[in-house]
Amino acid sequence: MEIIDNDIRQWDANDIKEQFGDNLMLLPSNDNIKELQTILRDKNTSRSDFKFYADRLIRLVIEESLNKLPFTDCEVVTPTGALYKGLKYGSGNCGVSIVRSGEAMEQGLRDCCRSIRIGKILVESDNDTHEAHVVYAKFPEDIARRQVLLMYPIMSTGNTVKQAVNVLTQHGVKEERIILSNLFCTPAAAQAVVDYVPKMKILTSELHPVAPNHFGQKYFGTD
Amino acid sequence: MSQSNKRTTAESILHADRRTIYTAGRPPWYNCTGGQEVEPFLIGIGGASASGKTTVATKIIESLNIPWVTIVSMDSFYKVLNEKQHHAAMRNEYNFDHPDAFDIELLITVLQRLKEGKKVEVPIYNYVTHSRENRTKTMYGANVIIFEGILAFYNADVLKLLDMKVFVDTDADIRLARRLRRDIVQRGRDLEGVLKQYLTHVKPAYQSYIAPSMAHADIIVPRGGDNHVAIALIVQHVHKQLRLRGFKVREKLAVAHIGQPLPDSLYVLKNTPQVQGLHTFIRNKDTPRDEFIFYSKRLMRLVIEFALSLMPYSDHEVDTPQGFAYTGRKCDVEKICGVSILRAGETMEQAVCDVCKDIRIGKILIQTNQQTDEPELYYLRLPKDIKDYRVVLMDATVATGAAAIMAIRVLLDHDVPERHISLVSLLMAEIGVHSIAYAFPEVKIVTSALDPEINEKFYVLPGIGNFGDRYFGTEPNDEE
Repeated sequence: MEIIDNDIRQWDANDIKEQFGDNLMLLPSNDNIKELQTILRDKNTSRSDFKFYADRLIRLVIEESLNKLPFTDCEVVTPTGALYKGLKYGSGNCGVSIVRSGEAMEQGLRDCCRSIRIGKILVESDNDTHEAHVVYAKFPEDIARRQVLLMYPIMSTGNTVKQAVNVLTQHGVKEERIILSNLFCTPAAAQAVVDYVPKMKILTSELHPVAPNHFGQKYFGTD
Repeated sequence: MSQSNKRTTAESILHADRRTIYTAGRPPWYNCTGGQEVEPFLIGIGGASASGKTTVATKIIESLNIPWVTIVSMDSFYKVLNEKQHHAAMRNEYNFDHPDAFDIELLITVLQRLKEGKKVEVPIYNYVTHSRENRTKTMYGANVIIFEGILAFYNADVLKLLDMKVFVDTDADIRLARRLRRDIVQRGRDLEGVLKQYLTHVKPAYQSYIAPSMAHADIIVPRGGDNHVAIALIVQHVHKQLRLRGFKVREKLAVAHIGQPLPDSLYVLKNTPQVQGLHTFIRNKDTPRDEFIFYSKRLMRLVIEFALSLMPYSDHEVDTPQGFAYTGRKCDVEKICGVSILRAGETMEQAVCDVCKDIRIGKILIQTNQQTDEPELYYLRLPKDIKDYRVVLMDATVATGAAAIMAIRVLLDHDVPERHISLVSLLMAEIGVHSIAYAFPEVKIVTSALDPEINEKFYVLPGIGNFGDRYFGTEPNDEE
């Protein structure tokens, strides 16, 4: 299959598995999620609506990303005195956001994990060459021992994420312990990132040849 | 509702002496299939003008001493007058005592709907402009309806609706004396005009229409409101009738439908590790309240988002800043409103407000009567035009489904189409799901988990415990 498709269309879960393997996952879609994506795509969406609906989509993507974290079985007693077979989340996770648009996803993570540690990476890319450089990175000290939820909402080329993953691995984080949370991704970026770090898990809500690159500008109101 | 004479005292009162076991709430008025089981008891009170009909009605209500009683006055159904009639009325020349002065058709519709347990809008008549005001009185949920008016027994179709007909027969001199005092002292009219109206309209109407209708009455009450013996007899009869209509819903719900396959109208949130982990937190009896609230809120958000995905959607094309047209989806429903079943359902309001901008929220308070174990309706406040909305009905847990069925019944009585209702819950027992789906097959039932059983106290097993108590921190202390 051609990576860059000439007709503009969305990819479904089967295409993705065939092309990119098991580590790229799509948020299980439904009409509600499609509506959120449509509102974010629409150029006539007001900024206040944009932020509101973006936060809703982010929350769903974060919730789904957390499903990829490790857990163990456990049993608890309910107030009615019955046993409930449930499960327990593992500890030792942290979030890392890629400045600036990745920070839009921090609140969503905080709303799910109240006291999670969050690191930051600033990557600047050259406007002409699209080459990315890491300018700043600050992580929890013991990040090498943690599962990392890397947050970056829009991927068009994948260069930024590749650099961010470089920094993380330099700090001792294992590739397979990184989960990338993403809202919109192009097939090209997906291919580039999967080729570069094949063991990293990637969760996105949509794979589409055109990325909504206005996301950060509109979310933070700097357009 | 606003009109119904319900007493909202906090403590439940038992009227064992009169043998009608009602508390402040309204017991079920429908059966396991969701259909109407108990028709309200409709008492008609007729009699001449100023004979004391209202006094008799009030005394009956006082002595009945039960909640959810409504009075419908025939005066509300006066026809709207045109310019010419309005001026005639100003000169005391319009005949308000003639059957033609009433909008009988509307009256019949209203009484019929009340008997069917439906919500009605009763017009408010303005005696100055002789027209209806823009606002209406909303009436809903009566166990006993009292309909009073001078020509209450005139129309044959109205007569058929009445379960009991009481004629108040007061001496003509006393009636005239009362009328003079009322119109001159209270309404500031002149003697001449009042007498003219009495002689040309009121008296002839009594002789032609009102007095003959006495033949239809079951009971004739001489001397009106002062006749304590007659009122006591009426009250006794009503109590007897209500007792005969008593109905045990919850017990029947709890034994029906064992071993049936789960209904198609049930939608269970995908059981991901996160959902299961959240359930583990909120089901654990040792989870502190702070965590209980936090994790149940996360779960609510997921279940509400899931419920929204079940609304109807269609393709929608938008222009993008990147210059191509994007085909996505758009919800076909513009008006969504949330209705929470108090108290536990209220905890889900925040989640629905967080995902639907400016959503309207209605509330229904249903409590379980400790003596009868039956659900009872205490309070409701719904958006006025709720029939135009898709309703997300929220309750944290559903055990037998008794409260949810009552709430759905209330919504249907307010003309919300069954297929426009989604019942959303964190946890349901299979039995409750069966009962609800059996009674209302078109209602979407949405939950984040399904438990197999309920115990003898109607709690879900393994369950969550009393969700409201745990969330609001009102558990009894002596639990350990």
